[in-house]
Amino acid sequence: MLHDLFYRLRALFYRRAMDAEVDDELRDHLEREAEKYQRAGLAPNEAMRRARLALGGSEQVKQQCRESRGTKFIEDLLQDLRYAMRSFAKTPGLTVLIVLSLAIGIGANTAIFSVTNTLLLKPLPYPHPSRLAILWLRSPGIGIPQDWPSPGQYHDIVTQNHVFEDTGLVLGNSFILTERSRAIKVDGLEATSSLLPMLGAKAMLGRTFLPEEDEPGKPQTVVLTHGFWQREFASDPNIVGRSITLDGHPHTIAGVLSPDFRLNHEVIPTIAGIDKPEIFMPPDEKAKNVTNYGPEIYNILARLKEGITMQQAQADIDVIAARLRRERHRDRSFTISVVPLTEQVVGNVRTAMLVLLGAVALVLLIACTNVANLLLSRAVVRQREIAIRAALGAGRARVMRQLLTESIGLSLMGGLAGVAISALSILIARRMHPGNIPRLEELGTDFRVLVFTFAISIFTGVIFGLAPALRASRVDLTTSLKAGGKGLASGGFSIRHDKLRGALVIAELAISLPLLVAAGLLVRSFIRLASVPPGFNPQHVVSMNVAAYGQEFKDPATRVQFYQQLTERIGHLPGVTATGAVSALPLTSAIGWGGMHIEGYVPPPNEPELQVDQRSATPPYFNAMEIPLIRGRTFAETDTDKMPPVAIIDQKMADRFWPHGNAIGKRIRRSDDSPWITIVGVVGVVKEYGLDTETRMVVYYPHAQSPSGTMYVVARSTTDPTATINAITRQVNALNPNVPVYDIATMDQRVQDSMARQRFAMTMLGGFAGFAMILAAIGIYGVMSFLVTQGTADIAIRMALGARRASILSLVFQQGMGLALLGIIAGLIGAFGLTRLMSSMLFGVRPTDPITFFSVLALLLIVALSACLLPAGRAIRINPMVALRTE
Amino acid sequence: MEERLELPQGTLDLLILKALALEPMHGWAISERLQQISREALQVQQGSLYPALHRLERRGWIKANWAISENNRRAKYYKLTPRGQKQLEVETAAWRRLTSAIDHVLDMA
Repeated sequence: MLHDLFYRLRALFYRRAMDAEVDDELRDHLEREAEKYQRAGLAPNEAMRRARLALGGSEQVKQQCRESRGTKFIEDLLQDLRYAMRSFAKTPGLTVLIVLSLAIGIGANTAIFSVTNTLLLKPLPYPHPSRLAILWLRSPGIGIPQDWPSPGQYHDIVTQNHVFEDTGLVLGNSFILTERSRAIKVDGLEATSSLLPMLGAKAMLGRTFLPEEDEPGKPQTVVLTHGFWQREFASDPNIVGRSITLDGHPHTIAGVLSPDFRLNHEVIPTIAGIDKPEIFMPPDEKAKNVTNYGPEIYNILARLKEGITMQQAQADIDVIAARLRRERHRDRSFTISVVPLTEQVVGNVRTAMLVLLGAVALVLLIACTNVANLLLSRAVVRQREIAIRAALGAGRARVMRQLLTESIGLSLMGGLAGVAISALSILIARRMHPGNIPRLEELGTDFRVLVFTFAISIFTGVIFGLAPALRASRVDLTTSLKAGGKGLASGGFSIRHDKLRGALVIAELAISLPLLVAAGLLVRSFIRLASVPPGFNPQHVVSMNVAAYGQEFKDPATRVQFYQQLTERIGHLPGVTATGAVSALPLTSAIGWGGMHIEGYVPPPNEPELQVDQRSATPPYFNAMEIPLIRGRTFAETDTDKMPPVAIIDQKMADRFWPHGNAIGKRIRRSDDSPWITIVGVVGVVKEYGLDTETRMVVYYPHAQSPSGTMYVVARSTTDPTATINAITRQVNALNPNVPVYDIATMDQRVQDSMARQRFAMTMLGGFAGFAMILAAIGIYGVMSFLVTQGTADIAIRMALGARRASILSLVFQQGMGLALLGIIAGLIGAFGLTRLMSSMLFGVRPTDPITFFSVLALLLIVALSACLLPAGRAIRINPMVALRTE
Repeated sequence: MEERLELPQGTLDLLILKALALEPMHGWAISERLQQISREALQVQQGSLYPALHRLERRGWIKANWAISENNRRAKYYKLTPRGQKQLEVETAAWRRLTSAIDHVLDMA
C-alpha cells in the first residue's frame, strides 16, 4: 500500500520526467522492432511503418501508461481546476457576485456555528462536566418558579442523599477592600471547601480551602483568582500568608488560583448577582449552622457519583424534598430540582441559538439557490462550449465532474472569504455586548469550526452545482452546435419552459418569507418592550453605587450622616436638579427583600410567610427618579429614627391588600416581634428586574430609619452625564477616600442594557432576513431578465403582430408575480408552522401576529414587483425589426 | 491470417511476471518473448504491454532501471521483485485452479 502511495506521489510530482521516460522507452521499442523487420529484409521506411503499426497509436499508449500510474484522478482535478480558474477569470463580475453571496452565506453560518459550538457543544471547562448539577427550590403552586436553598436544606441533602459524590454550598457577596491607596469593591463567593476542587480549580500559589475550615470558629482566610492577584497585587509571588482587610476585617491570603480557572454568574447564579468572583472565602458562621433554614439565599452545587443519572439523582432528592415538605411545612408544590450544570448555563439561550442557526441555514440555502440560478444562466451561454467538449469525446460523467469541480471551487473560495467574514462578525458581536449571553469570552474560531466551514463549503458547492451540472451535461449536440453560440433557441416567452428556474425562485421566496416574519416579530416585540414604561424617568439621570460600610461605618448614624452630606454636596453641583439614594436600584443586580406581616392579614396555612422587595431610600429619591406618588406623601427629612417608623408601598402591594385605595395609615411589620410601621404613601410600580419581567411588591423605608450601607446614588442633571459622574466621584473621594464608587451608568444605559439580548437577536435575525430578501429579489430579477433575453424573438413577433406595450408588460409581470405568489403562499404556510418555535423569544406579540404577516406579505410583493420592473422595461423597449433580423 | 485468441482480461500481467521470472528484460524483449511463447495461439497487443508494466511497477511487483543493453544502447530493464515472485506463484496457482475447475465443469456435460 505504502509503495503504491509513494509511486503515485512520485508519478504526480515527476510527471514530466516519467512522460519522457515513456517516450524513450517507446522509441527504443520501435527501433528494436524496426531492426527486426529490417533484418527480415524490409526497407528502413517500411520496417518503421510496420513497427508503428504493431505498437499501435503511440499517443494512446502514452495516455494509457499515464492512467496506469494511478494519478489520473488528481491530474484531471488539477486540469479542471486550472480550467475553472480560467473561466472564472473570463467572467470576473459573475464570479465575484457568486463568491460574495456564498461568502456571506457561509460566513454567517460559520459565525453562528462558532457561537453554537462554544455554547452548546463545547463542554464546560470543569472536570467531568456532565456529572455537575445545581439545585433549585421550586414552589410553582404559590408563584415561586425558582428559589435559592438554605444552609439547613443543604445539610439535609448532604446527610440524606445517596447520589452525590460531592456537594458545595455557595453564597455570593461583595466586599470592600480597604487599607490600600483607594478602596475598591470586590466580588466573591463564600463556599464550602468542596467547591473549588469540584470545579477543578487548583492553587498556583499556596493552597485552596481545607475541609476543617468548613467547621465553626476558624481564622478568616481568602483565596484569590489569578486575574485579581495580577491586577491588584502586581503578581506578588510572596503574597501567601499576607493579610488584607475586607469589610474591615483582616483575612489571611491562603492561596492564588491557577490562571485557567473560569467561573461566572452563568455557572453559579448567586442571589447577589455576582458576575465574576475574584476572591473565595470559607462559609460564614450562618452557613455552617445545620439548622439554619431561614435565609434561602445560597446556591447548592453537586457532583453526581459515577454511573448515577440526573433522573436517579432527582428521584433521590425528591425523597428529601418530600420530608422537608412534611417536617418544615412547605406548600404542596414544593420540590427541589436537580438541574444539570450545562443546562443551567445554556438552557435559556438554546432556543435563541437554534432559531438563529435555523435562520442562517435558510440564508445559505437561498444563497445556494441564487448561485444555482446564476450558474444556470451561465450554463446556457456555455452550452456550445460543453457541446464541443462532448463532441471531442468527454462523457457525461466527465462533463459533470468538471462543472462540479468549478462549483466546488467557487464554494471553497466563498468559504475562505466566509471564515474572514465570520471572524469579523464575532468581533462585532463582542463589541455589541449582547448582555448576558453566556461564555462569549470563550468564543473563537477553532478546529471544529473550520471543519464545519469546510464541510458546508463542499456541501453547498455540490448543492448549487448539481442542478446546473445535470442540466448542462445533458446536451443535444446537433441543436447546440447549430444554434451558433446563442444557446438553445427559446421556445417562447414562458417560465413553463424552465420549470427548474421557476422552482428555484419559488423556493427562495418561500424560504425568505418565514425569516422576514421571524425578524418582523422580533422587531415588534422589541418595540413593545421598549415602550414598556419603566415606572421612572430614565432620561438625564446618572447612577452609581457608593458603598459606605466597614469598620468606620459601624454606627448606623454615621451612614445616615454620610449619605446626607453627600446628597447635599451633589445637590450643589452645577446642573444637578435632583438627587437621592436607594439601597437597590432598578435594573441593577442589587436586590433586597424579606418577610412582611400585615396587620389584619393572616396568610393561608402551609404557605411561607409573605415575601416582598424592601428598599431603603432617602427622601428626595422618588423626586429624583420621577417615580410618581399616587397617594399620601413621600418621605420627609423629619422621618428620622427618633420619629415613628413609616413606609411607602408600591401600587402593586396597595392593589393586592387595599384594593379600595385605603392603604394610607395601615400598619405593617417585618416580623412578629418587630415594631409596627405605618404606611404613609403609595408610589407607582417600578420595573425592577427588566422591562419584560413581572415585578414583586415593594416596600420602601426612609434611609434614616433603615440605614443601609451600600446605596445607589442617583442624580438628575441638565449637563453632560460624564462630567456629572466625575464630579460626584470627586465629592465621594473628598468626603471619605475609603468609600468605593462602582457600577456607574446612566439610567438610560441601564434600560438599554436590559434589552441587550433582545436587541442582539433582533439585529441578527433582521440582518439575515434582509439579506435573504435581497437575494430573493436578485433571484427574481435574474430569472425575469433571463426570460426576457431568451424570449426576445417571441416578444418581437408579438409586437410585430400588433401587441401593445401594455400587453407585453402584463406578460412579464404575470410570469414574475406568478412565481412570487406561489413562493409567498408556500412561505406563509412555512411561517405559520415555524414562528411557533420562537414564542419564548417574543414579548407582547403572538407568533401569528397578523400585522407582521401582512406587512411582510406586502413588502415581499413590492420587492417582487420592483424586481420585475427592469426586465419589463427592457421587454417593451425591444425593437421588433432589430430583434427579428438578428435571429 | 489465422484466428488468434484475444488475451483474457488480467492474464497479461501473469504472462509478464512469468516472462520476467526467467531474467530481467526490457520492454521490447518482453514483447518478443511473449510472442515467441504463445506464437500461434495468443494475440498480445504490443501497445497494451507498457501500461501493464507501469501498473505492475506501481504495485511493487516489478522494478525498473535504465541499463546499457547488449548492443551498447540505453534501455529500461524490468526485474521481478520478491513480492512479484510471490504474486506470480499466487496467480499461477489461482489460474491453475480456475482452468481445472472450468475443465471439470465442461467435462461433466
